[in-house]
Amino acid sequence: MDYSKQIQEIASKLFAENKIDYFVGYKQNSFDDSQVPFLITDPAEIPKLVFTDKSVFNLANYLKPDHTKRKRVGLVVKGCDSRALNLMLTESQVKRENVYIIGICCEGVLNDKGEKAQNCVECVMPDPVVYDERIGTPTGKREYTVNADIRELATKALEERADYFESIFANCIRCNACRHSCPLCYCAKCCLDQETSTLYHGANTSSGAMHALMTWSLHLAGRCVDCRNCEKACPSHLPLHLLHKQNESVIYENFQQHLAGMEKDNRGAFYKYSLSDPDDFIL
Amino acid sequence: METEIKEAQGKIVSAENPGITAPADWQPVIIGILCNWCSYAGSDLTGTSRIQYPPNIRIIRVPCSSRVDPWFIIKSLQTAADGVLISGCHPGDCHYISGNYYARRRFLVTKKLLNFIGYHENRVQFSWVSAAEGPKFAKVVAKVTEDIKKLGPLHRYKKENF
Repeated sequence: MDYSKQIQEIASKLFAENKIDYFVGYKQNSFDDSQVPFLITDPAEIPKLVFTDKSVFNLANYLKPDHTKRKRVGLVVKGCDSRALNLMLTESQVKRENVYIIGICCEGVLNDKGEKAQNCVECVMPDPVVYDERIGTPTGKREYTVNADIRELATKALEERADYFESIFANCIRCNACRHSCPLCYCAKCCLDQETSTLYHGANTSSGAMHALMTWSLHLAGRCVDCRNCEKACPSHLPLHLLHKQNESVIYENFQQHLAGMEKDNRGAFYKYSLSDPDDFIL
Repeated sequence: METEIKEAQGKIVSAENPGITAPADWQPVIIGILCNWCSYAGSDLTGTSRIQYPPNIRIIRVPCSSRVDPWFIIKSLQTAADGVLISGCHPGDCHYISGNYYARRRFLVTKKLLNFIGYHENRVQFSWVSAAEGPKFAKVVAKVTEDIKKLGPLHRYKKENF
């Protein structure tokens, strides 16, 4: 999967036709073979753009900052990134006419160990769901499978699971990189920043981290698209996908197979309800 | 996902931390978050009808069950409570037409997530109690108190341990 040439051609065409102010893509990292997000305003920098199976980051996140928010932006999205972008469009965070979307029919990206990443193995939608221009051959929607880690943890005893999660929360340093790296965490004033609130327990302990990460994951429940930008950003390498995938599996199973961002105007699972939702856990 | 409840030499063992025990006469603290229009009125009816129910529950009134943010549950479990009971109107009876339908979705996901990270599933319970169901409210509180007494004190993630 190497689409560098096509992306460079499209980017130079867009700058030549004056359709965009910014272009967001990937460039080679200067000190190893990984890639970093690359935001350009100058067409002279176009030859630096690349796209291979190491283009892991979700570039929809770069529509959040002030300097790109009301500008015309061209950006490269994979299947999962396009779902996040679709949700941002549905939730009125981005104007459709302001973005020129180059959708990649993704074949899966690699993780740090050089294997195909877990979220790509379990991907439900490798093709872009929203795009102006599409690169690659679409392969269509795939069957949803419950995450392998969730299935494994569900078989463990309660104490074991509790110990495991307490060790995860204890390693959280509360840098909020997970929140900043998430394209769907766009609130100007985040509830996790209310240092003086009596409701919010902000101490840097496993208890405080539990509160913060649980709150964060529940605010993203039914909206998370499993791009794992949070996990890539986490300096403590916490398996943050566990919380999101657990919510996703419960929501998929119980709420009409809801998957976030698949269709336009389909908001998160908590924005709607059905009269036949499960009721058996209520006394 | 269900775990067995352990008992050791007349002491109550915490379901999440087997190392933590409490004497047999230990009384749990339960936070009850009740909707103003049905369950709060229902609990009022229980009182005015002179029906006895366990005094372990501390009631908080909210406008609607959909006012309950999962935060409230997490915060309760983190500070004082050994268990949480949330109660609202029956489906179709919501004062705000559909609040409890939205709440129902959130409750299911919150309950499953809390169980997933290591809280026993009986720690957080939900019920529908209407304003006319005084005896039902007493039964619900008795059941929840009984369940949480078996689970023992909640120690994990308690704020005072840090």
